[in-house]
Amino acid sequence: MFGLAKTTLPAHQRYAIRTMAFMAVYVAINVMAIGGVFDRIIGKPIAWALAVAVAAPVIGQIWATLSLMRESDEFVRAMTAKQFIVAMGLTMAVATIWGFGEEYAAAPHVSAWLIYPVFWGCFGLVAPFIRNSR
Amino acid sequence: MKNRLKPLRTERGWTQEQLGQALGVSRQAVNALETEKHDPSLDLAYRIAVLFARPVEEIFDNPHA
Repeated sequence: MFGLAKTTLPAHQRYAIRTMAFMAVYVAINVMAIGGVFDRIIGKPIAWALAVAVAAPVIGQIWATLSLMRESDEFVRAMTAKQFIVAMGLTMAVATIWGFGEEYAAAPHVSAWLIYPVFWGCFGLVAPFIRNSR
Repeated sequence: MKNRLKPLRTERGWTQEQLGQALGVSRQAVNALETEKHDPSLDLAYRIAVLFARPVEEIFDNPHA
């Protein structure tokens, strides 16, 4: 009886593998851009393709997280959703504060793409404190 | 939600991992149930009741009763 049922461990392993894969693509494209590989297209309309290519792993990561929730049990699903909502709210608060800081308080401009790493920073910050589903 | 999951589990000599496997949930989920950090869905509550061959109300206190 005990050996037959599915546990959530494989789901977490799949999530970790998917996350590493998407992050590798994200980092690789940025490293290539920093290294000058795309210098010929920077500033041209075709550079939008580069912007979309960098954003694709971000969308993939959302899919990976939704897959984790779908493949996990109800407790992990509820806790992950709660962690995501709190992290997202915190990220929006930080972005809003900084955005209005730029408008009203002469705060230095920050690139919009930073919102993605900021979100994961917030997620890492709140996740250890959200350990229940209520 | 107050419950008698831990004594029921321990009197059978099961670990949280083993109970989780029997129910199809993670060890973390079993721990969250035992420590009242997660209220089970009706589906999971019935699965637990079937596993221990007891009515749901004998395992989980009805907070509305």
